[in-house]
Amino acid sequence: MKISYNWLKWYVPEIPEAEKLADIFTMHLCEVEDIEKKDDDSIFDLKILPDRAHDLLSHNGIARELAGQLGITFNDPTPKYKIPESKPTNLKIELQTENCRRYSGRIVRNIKVGPSPEWVKMHLESIGQRSINNIVDATNITMYDCGQPCHAFDLDKLVSEKLIVRYAKAGEKITTLDNKEVELKESDMVIADENNVLAIAGVKGGKIAEVDENTKNILIEVANFDPVSVRKTSRKMSIITDSSKRFENDLTPELCSFAMVELSGLLVEFGFTDFEDVVDIYKNKQQERKVTFSVSLVNQKLGADISADEIEKILKQHNYVYTRTGEDFEITPSAMRLDLNIPEDMVEEIGRVYGYDKVTPQAPKIDFIPSTNETFTKIMYARNKLLSEGYNEVMTYSFCNKGKVQVLASASDKKYLRENLNDGLKDSINLNNLNMPFLGLDAVKIFEIGTVFLKDMEEIHVAYGTKKEIKEMTLDEYCKDASPEIFSERSSDFLAMLGQTVSENTSGSTNQVFKMWSLYPFIARDIALWADENVSPESIQNIIKENAGELLVKEPRLFDTFKKEGKISYAFRLVFQSKDKTLTDEEVSIPMTKITEKLVSMGFEIR
Amino acid sequence: MSDDKETQQKKGTEHPISLIIDEVVSIFSGMGFEVATGPELEDEWHNFDALNVSKDHPARDMQDTFFIKGNSLDASAQVLGGSQPDHSQKHARESFVLRTHTSGVQIRYMEQLVKDGKKPPFAIVVPGKVFRNESTDAGHEMQFFQLEGLMIGKDINVANLKYVLTEFFKKFLGEDAEIRLRPSFFPFVEPGFEVDVKHNGKWMELLGAGMVHPNVIKNCGLDPKEWQGFAFGFGIDRLTIVKFGIPDIRLFYQGDLRLNQF
Repeated sequence: MKISYNWLKWYVPEIPEAEKLADIFTMHLCEVEDIEKKDDDSIFDLKILPDRAHDLLSHNGIARELAGQLGITFNDPTPKYKIPESKPTNLKIELQTENCRRYSGRIVRNIKVGPSPEWVKMHLESIGQRSINNIVDATNITMYDCGQPCHAFDLDKLVSEKLIVRYAKAGEKITTLDNKEVELKESDMVIADENNVLAIAGVKGGKIAEVDENTKNILIEVANFDPVSVRKTSRKMSIITDSSKRFENDLTPELCSFAMVELSGLLVEFGFTDFEDVVDIYKNKQQERKVTFSVSLVNQKLGADISADEIEKILKQHNYVYTRTGEDFEITPSAMRLDLNIPEDMVEEIGRVYGYDKVTPQAPKIDFIPSTNETFTKIMYARNKLLSEGYNEVMTYSFCNKGKVQVLASASDKKYLRENLNDGLKDSINLNNLNMPFLGLDAVKIFEIGTVFLKDMEEIHVAYGTKKEIKEMTLDEYCKDASPEIFSERSSDFLAMLGQTVSENTSGSTNQVFKMWSLYPFIARDIALWADENVSPESIQNIIKENAGELLVKEPRLFDTFKKEGKISYAFRLVFQSKDKTLTDEEVSIPMTKITEKLVSMGFEIR
Repeated sequence: MSDDKETQQKKGTEHPISLIIDEVVSIFSGMGFEVATGPELEDEWHNFDALNVSKDHPARDMQDTFFIKGNSLDASAQVLGGSQPDHSQKHARESFVLRTHTSGVQIRYMEQLVKDGKKPPFAIVVPGKVFRNESTDAGHEMQFFQLEGLMIGKDINVANLKYVLTEFFKKFLGEDAEIRLRPSFFPFVEPGFEVDVKHNGKWMELLGAGMVHPNVIKNCGLDPKEWQGFAFGFGIDRLTIVKFGIPDIRLFYQGDLRLNQF
């Protein structure tokens, strides 16, 4: 949700500067994904949490929250909107489904469609919206300001002054405002006149009753729709709008009242005053809720020591309606705070405002003796055994091109789950075979431990092998020769095994840094020479390294040694590779010549 | 000398993810946590409903799920290969998903506890592979590893969570590591947090955490008035990347031994 700093300031003039505000959002409300400077404004992109989408997808909501958080004044805009006396209306609204929880409609006559005032354009543009015309802009400003989606129909394009909210009939169609023809299903709620579908309820308006430059009379809609119904329709049609996003997060029907005042007030400001009475159908009123909690619950959950007075101060600042009885509170959440239902919700409210940074870490005290997990221990046993036999561990994808179990709607072309590890290992062996000189290996020996998916079960398998042969079996089968005590519930071998791998491999490993390999092919060259018996291979390795230049990417590897008549033969394999191109034979022969010449000059005999 | 070198079996190299799992599990074991495991194909009850993620709630969109086609798993299905109780869960004839998080094992562990007539307190960590149906890039994969932690007792609280995570990161990243909690939302906790970790002077968002939602405890057959505790979860792949400076998450699952540098 994009929030304009200047827009917020209308409601909370005392807010701190933008940078400081960003910290307050981050630590007490939600993530700030971005702050953009725009002229004299700062635009925050806030990642409103799903449980606060009821009330925070709006400038008004954010301003109210900040006022509570910071203990500063919130300027309620309601008195600002002066609505002229309205005339009696003939508008009829018929709700054929309870999934339209409230529908407020009002006819406004003698309007003139044209450009919006400058402040409206600026507000919309600041949050990345386009100004369309004064009428559409008024509905959008209302939504971004108070969170309630609104719509305007061209009244004269309706067959009569009657609106019906109903579910679509099979085969009905609508052309949306962006000129897309959509076929409706019986699960789609729509707004219709007596002949035509005018809008997809809560999702998108239709072309038929679009407000255009010739529109004289309008019907404004401020309504509330069931979140699940809107969500299903929106997902199925892949039409996700600012309106559908708000409705699917569940808005309070109570919000319609304020939004009708705001939208009407904006129209008055734009110079239109020929209002008819609001027709408001709202049968099942949202019930008031009470949430009770105690100071001790808050402290018991947070592990803090917050006093009743501190809690009361937080409640007061946030304008909660509450009663306090000693250490107990009963609050009546405002209609918009649909997220507050259980005592734990109030623990979050208090904790968030109080500040989690003020909670002092404390060692937990629990009386618990951990058991050994058989599966995890077996995996560790199998891995350690295979490693000690010289096998290298790989992990491959669980997804593949064929199998018994298929996934739906994958973002990838691999739609099946693997039924063995074998296929993945074969590909891995082929890949690693090409890199043997780079890896310093004479043969590729690999293994994988992982889950495979059979027709009606999943199994953990162990597979290991070489190019010649891969063996694959279940983890249980692989571990069957081990002493069963290793895997028993109270085994002490588990920690010992774990300790062994950890200390061998990762102790101090924070200093180890991964070296990304070049994406260009390497070239391997061998060099063999005769040396006196007292010359160590390390000293020759050093001479090679010193003369090889930067294309040598691996330690020269001694791969063959034999003695003859008081001399010793050493053979080294050298791997050359560039970070930014494919090397040619000529480019490699330059360092090779340099190494050879150096070794000859030092008296070694090159074989 | 060289002959010995040739014939002696050289130890194989371990995948960096395994190294990190071993290290992480070792640190948590040292703090008294037990390891728990569970299936990768999970029913919707354990992956969503029991975790207070109701059907049709936008919260289910927070994770892009791989749903399994048809009822390919029949009622007799069970997990073999690891024969402990929490793995022998019968798959009922209902819809399955590739688990989107290891949190389902929270539910399985507590259900089993109740079935065995036992009670909290307990502390578990759950390492395991999880799946997300999303397009991949250097920071996103369709499969990756997660580690879930859960501690339940009479009075396990946010202060305890801060202690456990601080201790963990001091051991894992070094004594200079710090953590901070920011407000967040996950349906299975209340309150919920995003946890940032400061390492080498930089804050990184590394975990989600919170106090286990009373509905979750109730869904497992325990009384939320009597038992409370915290849960946390993080990506093992992400920790591996942070620790070793690996540039791209997709390198982990290519079967490429050039990865095994540690």
